[in-house]
Amino acid sequence: MSTTDHTSDEKDERAVTVAHDDVVLEVRDLSVTFPSEDGPLHAVRDVSYVVRRGEALGIVGESGSGKSVTSMAIMGLLPPNAKVSGSASVLGEEIVGLTDAQISKVRGNRIAMIFQDPLTSLNPVYTVGYQIAEAVLAHRKVTKQAAMDRALELLEIVGIPSPQQRLKQYPHELSGGMRQRVVIAIAMANEPDVIIADEPTTALDVTVQAQVLEALDRARQETGAALVLITHDLGVVAGQVERVGVMYGGRMVEMGPVEEVFYRPRMPYALGLLGSLPRMDEDRSDRLTPIMGTPPALLAMPKGCAFSPRCPMAKEICHQEEPLLLATDEHGGRVPVPVGDTTAHTAACHFSDELGESAPDDLFRTSGPQETEGDEPPAAAPKERGGGEAIVSVTNLVKNFPIHSKGLLRRRIGEVQAVSGISLDLRERETLALVGESGCGKSTTARLILQLIKQSSGEVHYMGKPLHTLSARQMRPLRRDLQLVFQDPFASLDPRMTVADIIAEPMRIHGQRGTDARKRVKDLLSLVGLNAEHSSRYPHEFSGGQRQRIGVARALALNPKVLILDEPVSALDVSIQAGVINLLEDLQEELGLSYLFVSHDLSVVRHIADRVAVMYLGKIVETGTTEQMFRSPAHPYTQALISAIPFPDPVKERTRERIIVTGDVPSPSDPPSGCRFRTRCPKFAGQLSEAERVRCVEEPPELMDRGTGHPDACHYSQVVELI
Amino acid sequence: MLVYTVRRVLGAIPVLLLASVLTFVLIDVSGDPLSDLRMQQPPPDPSVIELQEERLYLDRSMPERYWLWMTGIGGNGDIGLLQGEFGPSTQSATYDIGENIADRLGVTLRLVTAAMVFALGLAVLSGVISAMRQYSKLDYTLTFVGFLALAMPTFWFAGIMQQAGVGFNELVGAQIFATIGDGTYQAQGLDAWGRFTNALAYMTLPTIVLMLTSFAAWSRYQRTSMLEVLNSDYVRLARAKGLPNRVVIRRHALRTALIPLTTVVAVGMAGIIDGTVLTERVFQWRGLGEFFIAAVEANDSFALMAWLMLSGTAVIVANLIADLLYGVLDPRIRFE
Repeated sequence: MSTTDHTSDEKDERAVTVAHDDVVLEVRDLSVTFPSEDGPLHAVRDVSYVVRRGEALGIVGESGSGKSVTSMAIMGLLPPNAKVSGSASVLGEEIVGLTDAQISKVRGNRIAMIFQDPLTSLNPVYTVGYQIAEAVLAHRKVTKQAAMDRALELLEIVGIPSPQQRLKQYPHELSGGMRQRVVIAIAMANEPDVIIADEPTTALDVTVQAQVLEALDRARQETGAALVLITHDLGVVAGQVERVGVMYGGRMVEMGPVEEVFYRPRMPYALGLLGSLPRMDEDRSDRLTPIMGTPPALLAMPKGCAFSPRCPMAKEICHQEEPLLLATDEHGGRVPVPVGDTTAHTAACHFSDELGESAPDDLFRTSGPQETEGDEPPAAAPKERGGGEAIVSVTNLVKNFPIHSKGLLRRRIGEVQAVSGISLDLRERETLALVGESGCGKSTTARLILQLIKQSSGEVHYMGKPLHTLSARQMRPLRRDLQLVFQDPFASLDPRMTVADIIAEPMRIHGQRGTDARKRVKDLLSLVGLNAEHSSRYPHEFSGGQRQRIGVARALALNPKVLILDEPVSALDVSIQAGVINLLEDLQEELGLSYLFVSHDLSVVRHIADRVAVMYLGKIVETGTTEQMFRSPAHPYTQALISAIPFPDPVKERTRERIIVTGDVPSPSDPPSGCRFRTRCPKFAGQLSEAERVRCVEEPPELMDRGTGHPDACHYSQVVELI
Repeated sequence: MLVYTVRRVLGAIPVLLLASVLTFVLIDVSGDPLSDLRMQQPPPDPSVIELQEERLYLDRSMPERYWLWMTGIGGNGDIGLLQGEFGPSTQSATYDIGENIADRLGVTLRLVTAAMVFALGLAVLSGVISAMRQYSKLDYTLTFVGFLALAMPTFWFAGIMQQAGVGFNELVGAQIFATIGDGTYQAQGLDAWGRFTNALAYMTLPTIVLMLTSFAAWSRYQRTSMLEVLNSDYVRLARAKGLPNRVVIRRHALRTALIPLTTVVAVGMAGIIDGTVLTERVFQWRGLGEFFIAAVEANDSFALMAWLMLSGTAVIVANLIADLLYGVLDPRIRFE
């Protein structure tokens, strides 16, 4: 006990000195508990950190790790039933437990916050200008006109085009990226000392994410504010912050300078997170190394270290005693570090010194129940792919949705070409990825292939059969072969059906019942790595990753040949996502499936796909093997997409060459003439001469092979190596 | 906004037309206006019946009658909605349906308006309080009161209130609440203050009865709507800006939480009109409710049709107003 006393004294001394120093935000032993019917729920436990003036601190963690609750507690934005203890101070002034009148003076003035979803963060009934000016007026005694002028100035800083006009617009008239910039403008309105950004780019497309991060950067330069960046995206953290804290099960389990944590993690969880991430910047390894198990339920915290049930290194003591957040000295001893020391690398692990330089594979792979045999067949021989027959082939597929006039009669005045003339082949036993930003038509394409919606023109053939000519009744027997896995594992399973019923439903529809079906359900459950005993449970009893496995089992119930996977892992946490990706790969190997993998996540695509087709505004702009696409992308849009994906590697992320696009995706109802990408194309804007541009404006580029070995649709395509 | 308004107004026309067809057909097939006459003992002379049939246009086919009822073309000048005539009555040859409705409209409108204003005001107030103090004792109390009010049948509650009013008068030994009649007659010859206290005495109890069900439904709705907004991201952002709680509640939460209520209130109009029939009956007001009951008793087809058309129009107009109000309150609709 005497040692702890000693440290806390030391901490106090240090705290006093740093208070005069440049610490803007200091969080000490912050805990948050929610009462629940099953007892208190400890969402955050003893979190401490400091943020210095102008510094950027990242906080990473999966859902339920307490990273958002911590920041809400600091801002005093938690519901009244939450019990907050500990302290948080801004410039030495305590802000936990203040009255509404007191905290109102701090919020938005000293400390500002940016939320995750820009679509819901702004009040729909007030103009953008009003909402920014409101933030100014809340803290400054200026006239309304002066506040509006300041709003205009702020919109300019965050890079919103024609800001004067935007001031008078309502949030719904702005795109997601624009709205997030408005939220950033609100946050910086009063030049706060700290900005807390809670997953500020998670809801946005990658190219827009890059723009918003840039706006956030400019906001910081302008105001000199420190940044607390909360995110689950290790790539974003790697590029944006100097120090990073890792949260797990409501506690800070590792903290240190970003390079230290990324290159020499001292806590197995951080190591596992990095290992479970599909990497775009490294050679594609054949398997990801997921962390086994699921994050702990906050109501039933394991005794000892919260990570111990999933930790391959866990020993007796880990299950008994919760480790403190300590640094490791040069002799391998674990020593406390004062809170204000921002150079220290601390970890909450009894054996952080033993982690040394181990790679995630070494640690987590050995513990996996699947790979117990010495050699792994898939790793040895890369799959023989690409030579197979086309199982699904799509030719000149077009889908138009009508647009009606806004006038009195609502005449049909035109159409949105969601998909405009795409052709692709999905070959046997291969994975073809369809990538692009939201609104590019990739999900529509998937639905057209399944004939869930009817094409306007074009052809879809499955094993030589023309699906586009079949009636719904004729299509039904073929549905056995073509199945779909949805994005959202929470919405795609009927909450009132048991898992057995959910998986058996396709069989029932196709006339397969009785004991056969029941046995098949059990087989399927074990095939996707779930306990067959759990078939009588309901979906809500499973975690996100498990639910997605149920969705996969349902899709497999009829022994399909083709699976259409519509963003199958994008709703899952990183450590869970890896397991599902591995499962999909195993199933393909085992069952000889062909996958059409619709995704916006290029890292995942690089890992899982054999071939890739990139879509932009309803057209395929480039297609080729995964290797070709990532090694030598030729279309400026592909290059921009690859550039926009942050690498989870601080040094690479900060030094890489980038091709950046500006603006938002134009409306598909009125696509630009000629090349649809030209309005955002960096090549069009910067490199082409006036004469060359004419061709982009007038002539739509065809998808053709220009000697690079893979076709692209750019008049002036040029390979750029980005990775 | 103009296009939006015009479109909504034009959209109301087919609905009205459909309402007229339904009103006509349902009443027309549901009984013979002359059944009493035909049943009379000793049987009346066939010529008398014929005469009545001719007067009530029962000698024509149903489509003809509908056309006649709508336009009045080919009638005797006493029929045709578009000409402002509601048709002949069974009650007597001189009974003018239109005149009667006009007489009683004011009485009923007074009651409906008062009930709606109070129901709405109190519903918003209690809904907001309930939402802001969710799961507090106050919230539970208001919830209990709300469900109690919803569960009470109007005719029964009206009877109770009337008795309570009588009891109260006896207790204080003065005529505080008037429990019979609408007070129009008593108000004659009074000065402004006298008329006000007279109205207060006559209207208080019926208004309470009539508003109660709507108040209960709307306050529940307002509570839900408010709770949803209070948990929204933009209210959180408003707090994060540093706005004090009362500003957040008023400017960001209440303002947006009121939008969906407009639709609910418009739909609730129908319920209030239903309620007037019972309330007026119990308190013996000579309003449209009483007119409706008299028409039912007299098998007066055209009077019933007139009443149904009137209340149907009221509901459609209320919805139209709600739609337009929606456009004003919610910019997302305006720019649609």
